[in-house]
Amino acid sequence: MTAAIRIENLGKRFRRYHADRPRTLKETLVSGWRPRGKGEEFWALRHVDLAVAAGEMVGIVGQNGAGKSTLLQLTGGVGTPDEGAVRVRGRIGALLDLGAGFSGDLTGRENVFVTGVAAGLTIREVRRRFERIVSFAELEDSIDNPVRTYSSGMQMRLGFSVAVHTDPEVLLVDEFLSVGDLAFQTKCLNRIREIKASGCAILLISHSPTQINELCDRAIWLKRGEVVVAGLPEVVTGQYEVEMRSETRRRTPHRPTTLAASGLKLEVNRNRFGSQEVEIVDVRLTPGEEIGQGEALVVAIEFNAPKAVRAPRFNVGISRAEDGFSCLDLNTEVIGDRAEVLGRGWATLSIKRLDLAAGRYYVNVGVFQSDWEYAYDYHWEVYPLRVEGGVSSKGVLGPPFRWDLEAHRALS
Amino acid sequence: MNLRRLKQSVDLIRVLVGRDIKLLYKRSALGVLWTLVNPLLQLLTFVFLRAVLKFDIPHFTSYVFTGLLVWQWFSKTTSQSTSIIIGNRPLIRQPGFPVAVLPPVVVTTGMIHFALALPVLMVFLFFDGLPMTPALMWLPVVMLIQFFLTVTLAYLLAGINVVFRDTQNAWAVLVQAFFFLTPIFYSLRQIPEHFHALYVLNPMVSILTAYRSILIEGHAPDWTALFKVVAVLAVLFPMSVLLFRHQSRRFVEEI
Repeated sequence: MTAAIRIENLGKRFRRYHADRPRTLKETLVSGWRPRGKGEEFWALRHVDLAVAAGEMVGIVGQNGAGKSTLLQLTGGVGTPDEGAVRVRGRIGALLDLGAGFSGDLTGRENVFVTGVAAGLTIREVRRRFERIVSFAELEDSIDNPVRTYSSGMQMRLGFSVAVHTDPEVLLVDEFLSVGDLAFQTKCLNRIREIKASGCAILLISHSPTQINELCDRAIWLKRGEVVVAGLPEVVTGQYEVEMRSETRRRTPHRPTTLAASGLKLEVNRNRFGSQEVEIVDVRLTPGEEIGQGEALVVAIEFNAPKAVRAPRFNVGISRAEDGFSCLDLNTEVIGDRAEVLGRGWATLSIKRLDLAAGRYYVNVGVFQSDWEYAYDYHWEVYPLRVEGGVSSKGVLGPPFRWDLEAHRALS
Repeated sequence: MNLRRLKQSVDLIRVLVGRDIKLLYKRSALGVLWTLVNPLLQLLTFVFLRAVLKFDIPHFTSYVFTGLLVWQWFSKTTSQSTSIIIGNRPLIRQPGFPVAVLPPVVVTTGMIHFALALPVLMVFLFFDGLPMTPALMWLPVVMLIQFFLTVTLAYLLAGINVVFRDTQNAWAVLVQAFFFLTPIFYSLRQIPEHFHALYVLNPMVSILTAYRSILIEGHAPDWTALFKVVAVLAVLFPMSVLLFRHQSRRFVEEI
């Protein structure tokens, strides 16, 4: 299959200008035309390879300044690469600065035409879509009022609506889902799914791992302009989240894949992270991988510290399998033990009763450096846990409960 | 497919010109009439000065008003073009947005204002006792040449202004100077012969003379002079567009 977006060895260099670089004619004349220092160069993007097929959605995570927006801009043809190439098939749509191009003195209607045509439609095509654009934005009553009378939410809704009705074949999205209220956000998400289903290739920048996990087929993690991890969204965002707390990844040695007690593969940088200064050798769940609602659960972690390590922090978390929602997060910091550990040992967490809603979960275990700077070893989504029974609900909790109804019955 | 893109570019210019004109309408009670206030006030000044300076030009009012309207189109458009890149940031950041439509948009807006003022000019011509002649059919041709000149300068100035932000100040000073160095309220005949060679270098002189031939003298313009202007533009225009294109790659980094 040919890709809708093909990015090959992409590199973009920016120059940090010296403060004394002439910015105006006057300054140039005063400083003369003598050759000036080229300024300090740095790569905003380097060696980036990415192919996105039609109907595929790829998420981009990374810290501020990692090159995410530059990647989106270059893909959109704004600016030219210094290395490599970007090839895009089809019309490009974008959800960037929504509503930024509106003129406040013009009506919503007039602005729809300006932004629609600026986004690549002809006037005729905007006219044909006009009704749909307005009704999607829920602005039927105020479309003929000047945009300056709109709330910022209304402007964003209109901006979003125009952008998603241009039938793009490639869509570039930068942090859009703070548009309007919750109901409208859901509508936006559904619309994005529709566009994706219609065969549009989508690149999405988001700071929300949940959003990327929910929407994307794949994800990449950009760090200082380079792709450090690429793969399944859960895997990429999971690692990214871990890194956000620590410098784990930098310290993770390469190790062969091992089997965990649960029989699942433990693979470095996929579901296992850490420097391995303390290694988690085994994790046992008692009574087992399946427990009843409200039963006790014991998580026993067997570890090995080849060299003495001061006050490692053990952490046990329970996350919901379907969306990674964190339901429980406990660590040994509360007991204030600052002793050194050496050799083999056990850390055991006993939970008196686990009142979780019935469903599938993971027990995530980790051992961290005493100031939480990085992980020694962290096993993520390796140990499944199934909570049985009770009434299943959308909530997280499943405590024992009873209903009592007292009411005056209407006489019929 | 290419036909669609052409249609799309034309539509883009249409909506952007529409936007600019509507904005002018909506921001003020007088709306587009404001574009007439300035030349009319200037005209009043020169009519007053005529008595003082003893200008001896037939149909002075029409002569000067023609000059003022033509000059306004030229000066306003070129001045605006210096800031179009910076002023349309959200549009330029739109993927696939053809930045190259912006200079034509500004020049077209100026041309529409000029065209809207033409009826008022006709009224002046009528009261000056100047008849309408078949020479009027050359008016669109001269307008087209002025459009060509202005758009060339617009590309050039917009491109330079990305790097040197004070191009707009420098250009404002130049335009002000050339307001006096172009025979807008005086006649070329009043200028000593040995300066004429210099005056001919200013393309606006040939264009302005052509307008006056058509509107006031009622005959076809001096085609040789106009042809020279077009010949120079034919070389300069692609160069300006190239410069603009080249500079447009730096827009992202500069704005």
